[in-house]
Amino acid sequence: MKTIRPLILTLLTLALAACGKSGPATAPTAATSASAEQKKLSLFCWSEYVPQTIIDDFTKETGIKVSVENYSSNEEMLSKLLAGGGKYDLIQPSEYTIEALIKDGQLLPLNSAGLTNLNNIAPEFRAMSFDLGNKYSVPYMAGFVGICVNTAKIKTPVQNFADVFVPTNKGRIVVLDDAREIVSWALGSLKLGINDVTTENLALITPLLKKWLPLVKVYDSDSPKTSLKNGDVDIGVIWSGEAALLYAQDKKFAFILPEDGAHLFVDNLAIPKTASHPQNAHLFINYLLRADVSKRISDAFPYYNPNLAARQLLSPEQLANPASYPPAQQISRMQTFRDLGQFSATVDELVTQIKAKGN
Amino acid sequence: MAETARQTPTVLGLDPRRASWKAWLLLGPLLVWLAIFVLLPTILLIVTSFSNRDELGRVVYSFNWDNYRRCFDPTWLSIFWDSILYALLATAICVLVGYPAAYTIGRASPANRRILLTLVMVPFWTSFLIRTYAWISVLSQEGLVNSLLLSSHILPTPLSMMYTPFAIVLGLVYNYLPFMILPIYTSVEKLDNSLVEAAYDLGAGPIRAFSRVIIPLTQPGITAGALLVFVPAIAMYAITTLMGGGSNPTIGEVIQNQFTRARNQPFGAALGVLLMLLFLVCFFVLGRKKNSAHHV
Amino acid sequence: MTDSTLSGRASFFRMPDGPKLVRWFCGSWTALVFAFLYLPIFLLVLFSFNQSKSGFVWEGFTLEWYDALFHNRVLLQAFGNSLLIGTISTACATFLGTLGAWLLYRYRFPAHRLMETFIFVPMIMPEILMGVSLLVLFVLFSLPLGYFSVIISHITFTFPFVLIGMQARLQGMDPSLEEAALDLGATPFQAFFKVILPYLVPAIASGALLAFSLSLDDYIVTVFVTGAASQTLPLKVYGMVRVGLNPQLNALSALGIVLTMFLVFVSERLKQPNLGETK
Repeated sequence: MKTIRPLILTLLTLALAACGKSGPATAPTAATSASAEQKKLSLFCWSEYVPQTIIDDFTKETGIKVSVENYSSNEEMLSKLLAGGGKYDLIQPSEYTIEALIKDGQLLPLNSAGLTNLNNIAPEFRAMSFDLGNKYSVPYMAGFVGICVNTAKIKTPVQNFADVFVPTNKGRIVVLDDAREIVSWALGSLKLGINDVTTENLALITPLLKKWLPLVKVYDSDSPKTSLKNGDVDIGVIWSGEAALLYAQDKKFAFILPEDGAHLFVDNLAIPKTASHPQNAHLFINYLLRADVSKRISDAFPYYNPNLAARQLLSPEQLANPASYPPAQQISRMQTFRDLGQFSATVDELVTQIKAKGN
Repeated sequence: MAETARQTPTVLGLDPRRASWKAWLLLGPLLVWLAIFVLLPTILLIVTSFSNRDELGRVVYSFNWDNYRRCFDPTWLSIFWDSILYALLATAICVLVGYPAAYTIGRASPANRRILLTLVMVPFWTSFLIRTYAWISVLSQEGLVNSLLLSSHILPTPLSMMYTPFAIVLGLVYNYLPFMILPIYTSVEKLDNSLVEAAYDLGAGPIRAFSRVIIPLTQPGITAGALLVFVPAIAMYAITTLMGGGSNPTIGEVIQNQFTRARNQPFGAALGVLLMLLFLVCFFVLGRKKNSAHHV
Repeated sequence: MTDSTLSGRASFFRMPDGPKLVRWFCGSWTALVFAFLYLPIFLLVLFSFNQSKSGFVWEGFTLEWYDALFHNRVLLQAFGNSLLIGTISTACATFLGTLGAWLLYRYRFPAHRLMETFIFVPMIMPEILMGVSLLVLFVLFSLPLGYFSVIISHITFTFPFVLIGMQARLQGMDPSLEEAALDLGATPFQAFFKVILPYLVPAIASGALLAFSLSLDDYIVTVFVTGAASQTLPLKVYGMVRVGLNPQLNALSALGIVLTMFLVFVSERLKQPNLGETK
């Protein structure tokens, strides 16, 4: 048959390729044992989270060139890191993802001797359950997910998630494009624990989500403030930092932390075990822990800054922003996400399916 | 590909030489490239579609039909259908809008034809991001249309045009219109003038001349254009995401989601394989139609 | 190009034919189509000079956005990446395409139909499928994602375009050219380099231009196979477009359009007839 020759060629190349697999692209461990790393750093971080000026200044100070790739959800980051062949020196997982990564042995233990600025971090952030004593990660920024309302357009009071997803708001809502988040709002709304992701609970929230999601106009984890700012939507469940930016520009954007289900997130810096430049990564982490640098991060992205030394440099206005720094007793009531294990897949599927039904 | 009176070496009595080992050696790199980077990835995709994933999203190679069974859930089928509808609508609009323009260019004098063609080529070659961004800046809340409407007090509040099916179709049409104009133009240019003349001579009005003579004669061009627009538009998710905002998902978006956020590569691969089949079917059906209607 | 049989009647039926109504309709429709195609782009360029940061209210002429663009290190680096990747992949794609087209034309390979089908596949395969399947390939063989993986991917989907264009040009070639060269004592290699290749230059150039612009513009395939260091311009621009309107994007688009016009102009020039063509 005429197709035999290409077939043989294919088989040959397959055989060759199989031989080649063990060859190149080997141990980054070889790289770490080398005394001098190349002056490069590969940063994989959230979009709209690390100001470019800070990165540029780091390069100016140390001569280390930083390449940046962005993601807009922990799941995306995990996907690229583990299943997607990406190699990075520094990642920025949230607390529950750190838990999963530590469990799977994916992170390099930090060399605390190199992190001289670690004392700037507030004590409560040094003893978080997902990484006691900051063995593998260092807090970058904390924050919340809450409701942002354009009070000029929506006059009725909004207190919790159920108030957002009402038929009168159809097509005027923006939410984060994050399955885990969405599920937690539904759980909180039914007074279930946000970490109580079980088959029964998921079945309980499914009809609620089926009611809620068709009302959503925009799914955006990158920059949800955009659609609120330009009026495409009037209400949204978004990151507190984004809401804080809106509030700082125009006080009509109110931020509400719902009683049921508001949670605290802590984004951390961590080094994957496959990193090629772990020393440079340590340098960058230490740089970000500096008070002046951390203050500049807060200026650009007004989340809840765990760096006490940096907080002292903030203006009273910034500290008074209810989206950045809510009352302490509200914060103390909040939970953080825990790793869901195998249920993270189920959560992914559930939301994808309901979302895909469109409107 | 259409074969006219091609002056192949055989026609002129020269024998296309039987491939010597040297020729095979030279062609080798190409074949190896095709095998490794075209054939192999496709095979791997099919293999992955039968596999599973672990907790953290890594692929666990196995063999089962679970992913395909999931594909036939109404949710996903309706997304396939939505994508086809968007593509169909965009293609139809492109034909309606593009045909008269292509006709005009094809019948223009050679000098004008040159200029007009170049004018079509510029959007054709322009980056799709620029072209899509152009419409985002026109349609968005703080964009041109709303600025005009508000400043001239025609409307009190801005129109919400972005993130709607309208925006998606518009984005697709704007991107693919040159792809429709060019093949139709090629067909029109090849029109035998005497046939058109004959139609008018025999007393046909413009409508009949067009519907009975001109359009059927240029049908290969229309089909080629439909091929170039419809088939890629089904899977073009970058444009639909930018214009549609995520609440109007297309199949490309869903597959992309499976490979990133949803961390379910096997399921994404299964959807991908189905998309590939859909693609092949459309391609062959349209391709047949184009080649079968090959007159003169 | 069709002959224009210039009888008095024929000129009446030329652009566009028949009654004035048809002519009027077609002409104005075409004008509208061009307005549709060009107006948004024109506005983009216009407002890249607008002093106002947002909105479409004209507030004065300024070049500050172009200035900001040229100091935007992220975009500049991404552009550098795009150029590097584009150049290398274009060179390889042109080489593969030219070589492949010539060999397939000149020699009779068994299973050549199958080969041509496979060559055709990357041209029509949806980019998303190409992106994910290449990703699966690279991950399976532990190839680190970065410049290498992006260049390979770009070569894969651009070289068929070069090859097809080359085939078209070869179809129009007078085969006796090569015969004559061989008669005069040249080896097949010499005949190729001294006679065929010069004839193919316009097709090589326009094929290379097409490959380069395809590589420069690619988003979907690249987003799956890139690493952090090899982020190309379309990737960064896509991120910026998602965030919202930004006058720097207007400036970038204006520059992109100028570049495109230049490319189209060069490409059109290359289509001039050359010696050895039988038309």
